[in-house]
Amino acid sequence: MTSTLENNKEIKIQMRGIAKVFETEELETHALKNIDLTIYAGDYVSISGPSGCGKSTLLSILGLLDMPSGGEYTIEGVNVTDLSLDQAAEIRNAKIGFIFQSFNLIDELSVFDNVALPLRYSSEKMSEQAITERVTECLQAVDMTHRTGHKPNQLSGGQQQRIAIARALVAKPAILLVDEPTGNLDSKSGDQVMDTLEQLNKSGTTICMVTHDPRYANMANIQLKLLDGSILTTPAPGANIKEAV
Amino acid sequence: MNNFRQASQLLIHQFPYLVKQAWGSLQSKPAFVSGIITTLGLTLGALLTVLTLAYVMLLKPLPYPQQEQLYTLEHQLIDKDGKVDGRAFTYPNLMHFYRTQQAFSLAALIYYDADVLISSPKHPTLSQAYVTPEWFNLLDARMALGRGFEQTEAVNQYHPVAVLSYDTWQKEFSLSPDILEQKVTFSGTSYRIIGVLSQDFQEPELLDTGMKSQVFLPWDFNSISEAERKKWGNDDDLLNVLAKLPAGKNPEQVGQALTGLINNNWQENVAGYAFFNGWGIKIKLHSLKTVILGGSEQSIYLLLAGLIALVLIAITNITNLFISRTAEQQHNLAIHAAIGASKSQLFAVLLIQTGLLMLMAMVLALVVATFGFALLQQTLNHVFPRVDELAINAFTLGSALLLSIGLALFFARVSAHMLNYRQLNTCLHTSGKGNGVQVPGKIRNALIIIQITIVTSLVLACLVLFKKSLDTINQDGGFDTDNITFMVLALPSTDKEAERANQLQAVRRQLLALPQVEAVSQALAPMAFTTRALTANISNERYSVKAKDIDHKYFSLINQPLIEGNDFSPADIKDDNDVIIVNDVFARQLAPGASALGLTLNGNAIIGVVKGIRLPGKNNIPPRFYYPTSQGRNMMLIKHLPGQALTREQLVSVLGQVNSRFKLFSLSTLNERRQSRLFSQYTTAVTSGALSLLTLLLAAIGLYGIISFGTQMRRLEIGTRLAVGAKRRNIIWLIFKDNAVSVILGILTGLIGLLLLVLAFSESLTPYINWQLLPLLVATFGLITVISCCACYLPLRRYLNQAVALSLKTSP
Repeated sequence: MTSTLENNKEIKIQMRGIAKVFETEELETHALKNIDLTIYAGDYVSISGPSGCGKSTLLSILGLLDMPSGGEYTIEGVNVTDLSLDQAAEIRNAKIGFIFQSFNLIDELSVFDNVALPLRYSSEKMSEQAITERVTECLQAVDMTHRTGHKPNQLSGGQQQRIAIARALVAKPAILLVDEPTGNLDSKSGDQVMDTLEQLNKSGTTICMVTHDPRYANMANIQLKLLDGSILTTPAPGANIKEAV
Repeated sequence: MNNFRQASQLLIHQFPYLVKQAWGSLQSKPAFVSGIITTLGLTLGALLTVLTLAYVMLLKPLPYPQQEQLYTLEHQLIDKDGKVDGRAFTYPNLMHFYRTQQAFSLAALIYYDADVLISSPKHPTLSQAYVTPEWFNLLDARMALGRGFEQTEAVNQYHPVAVLSYDTWQKEFSLSPDILEQKVTFSGTSYRIIGVLSQDFQEPELLDTGMKSQVFLPWDFNSISEAERKKWGNDDDLLNVLAKLPAGKNPEQVGQALTGLINNNWQENVAGYAFFNGWGIKIKLHSLKTVILGGSEQSIYLLLAGLIALVLIAITNITNLFISRTAEQQHNLAIHAAIGASKSQLFAVLLIQTGLLMLMAMVLALVVATFGFALLQQTLNHVFPRVDELAINAFTLGSALLLSIGLALFFARVSAHMLNYRQLNTCLHTSGKGNGVQVPGKIRNALIIIQITIVTSLVLACLVLFKKSLDTINQDGGFDTDNITFMVLALPSTDKEAERANQLQAVRRQLLALPQVEAVSQALAPMAFTTRALTANISNERYSVKAKDIDHKYFSLINQPLIEGNDFSPADIKDDNDVIIVNDVFARQLAPGASALGLTLNGNAIIGVVKGIRLPGKNNIPPRFYYPTSQGRNMMLIKHLPGQALTREQLVSVLGQVNSRFKLFSLSTLNERRQSRLFSQYTTAVTSGALSLLTLLLAAIGLYGIISFGTQMRRLEIGTRLAVGAKRRNIIWLIFKDNAVSVILGILTGLIGLLLLVLAFSESLTPYINWQLLPLLVATFGLITVISCCACYLPLRRYLNQAVALSLKTSP
């Protein structure tokens, strides 16, 4: 693994001049314009902004779920701007953990199998015992070990999101990308999920979260605001501020 | 019950409103509507065509009064070993029956023939039926003009009159209004036209399916020679009887009584012929309907089974379309539910939509059926009987109505089943994310299994039939048919034999002088044989053998190999020497393990042995012998140089130069005659091939639709798997693996179905079952696998190639 240090802090993610243009026959939409962004190990970044400002597009590009139209993007020093589909899948598997608004658990799989899924796709083959140990560890982290044999539709929304967090953590990613984690939850469950994320960050997990709930955005130590595809204020490298803007 | 009442009340009270709403809803989905109407319209149209054909052939009464009392007679000539030697009447037995029978209230004699209509400048050859007057009464033959035969045309009245079929009046006389003042002339005899049969009269096709008579002449004038009329042993397939059995009489008992009547008289008359010692006659009655149906019952059942399977495939495809449509309609139906529509009322809404679609599909199906009837009448009138009676009738309409109602209810029920009524109510007050209609995997799998089961069994069955037909078509008969034309001449009956022979030799010489002609032989066509009785001179063994009269050029012209002895010499033909040539099958029968050369049969010495030829469509080669023909024989085979066939006009010109009264009766190439004999094989090959292709096409569309829809339903899952690091191959393998179980189950079910079929009908199906089926089996599985793989992979490509973020969007 190649890692880059800046101000003695390990750079997890670095974007330079990232742009995204959606083209149709009649229209060209600039979803992201010249985005520069650096996320360091242990950062808890929130991205917020009005609807259509490019939050989800930025998160998709951060997670290699979409490719930028221009610019340069590195994860832990590896240039991931122009990867093949399978190379991108490998990076996603090894370095990125996703938490989605609608949980995206697979109904036909048990809680255990949902959490184990990234390990099954890993290029480093693990023994069944190792997988079981790792999954159990992650389920313990989200306090869901009592539900391993259940199917997702037998769980509450909050429980499903905790399972999704466990799945995101299972492959020990470089960064957790979180998309409106409380969007489908009631406030109590939302708070529980956010507490879990905060605990994870405190234990060293790097998190980048998209939210438009200011309450949750404030929980991040770096808060980015996006408008019309541009970051309004970029924090200084290595900044650890509650309010960057 | 309460639900049913609610649905019924809604349908009754708000029918126009519901129809308007359903119509509006369907109008917004033209691709869905046209897909359903086209698929169902075409397949149901084909099904209605064959259903109506099956009804006409199997259930519809014949269009004759007291049709169930009409019978034909089978005259079995039984040899000394108890085997049936022939199934047709001999002329003296037929006349004896006609004069003495009292079992039937009416009995008509029929002799089928054909002759050149000399009185027409075009000299067309018309098919003839020589009948006794009872024929008109038995069939209640209505006339468009004039009258049918009456007592003035009874046997031995020799009243030269004729009745034309409507078709002949139209084609040969352009519906001339003064037709009753005209005459028709055949072989020197002029017949005054006394009537024209009605256009809607259906002549019973006794001789062969699709064979209709164009002109009806009194029995007395039939072309059987005086000598043949006295031969008690020569049966003739063209002689037929149609008779009406009085109500309540048992056909078997009548058959026994007639057997006694005919056999006793026959035994007395053949007492002087040693050949017939131990032989006998048996009479069997067959209902007219059975005779007309012939052997086509099995074909219609097979065709019906094939089309039902095809419709089932179409129905599974459309079920899938309705499932997708229900998924799309989820939101609209949720609004209906939110404002108080009950489950049964939602069913009524869906039923109106499916009902409208079925109605439109059925209209198209009826149009397709109308074209189907015309197609059958044009192309398969020699395969299926009574196709002339095909038309949209009460049965067709009733079947269409039942099918429409049944299918509308089925599709509405399937769509309603997809809806979870409880979840519908929550659909509107949630964000909608993750709440789409969940089509149970079991239904998807069931649809795949049904498709594959039908495809496996139907395609395999069709390919077996296709291969069997092709094998028969491509089978080498052991003789040439290319570049050979067969010509039959109509000769004046008044000419003397010697003079006729000289003139025919002149025709032969003139033909040979033509640059296009390579060889000429006076002989019957290679595919035609008569039956002759033979007795071996020394052993006194008796044989009933297929025979043909030929000249010395015949074997070399058709390239039939002589394997022992000599061919006929020109002198054998000229002097009518007592020599014969036998085929190898007969030679082995006559002299097992030794040479048959030199043996004599009926005083004729065997001078040669030829290799037996296999007639088109036949599996075995029977014993045959060849004897010298007369130089006055009116049939010739003409071998011409490749690509240089003689035209009808050239031949007519040659005939005219020799004798202006020589007319061309018929002209056909041996390839045409071969194809004509293989017509049912060609029909089977085309039908089974087309059915296979159609099945594969429909199945491909259907499987693609079902698997594609299944893949579409799994879009979020695929996106999630890709997001957590699955590679392309992981996803492709996942989809293949999940669908493979259904595909394999379908193949197994299809094979088990076929196995059960083979066990149930082992006698009929044994000839089709052999190891040669293995490649077909592999080919069928290969095709199904390829189709399934394409159906798995093609819809998946979109999700694999697009940005994963798109797959993860909550609305596609």
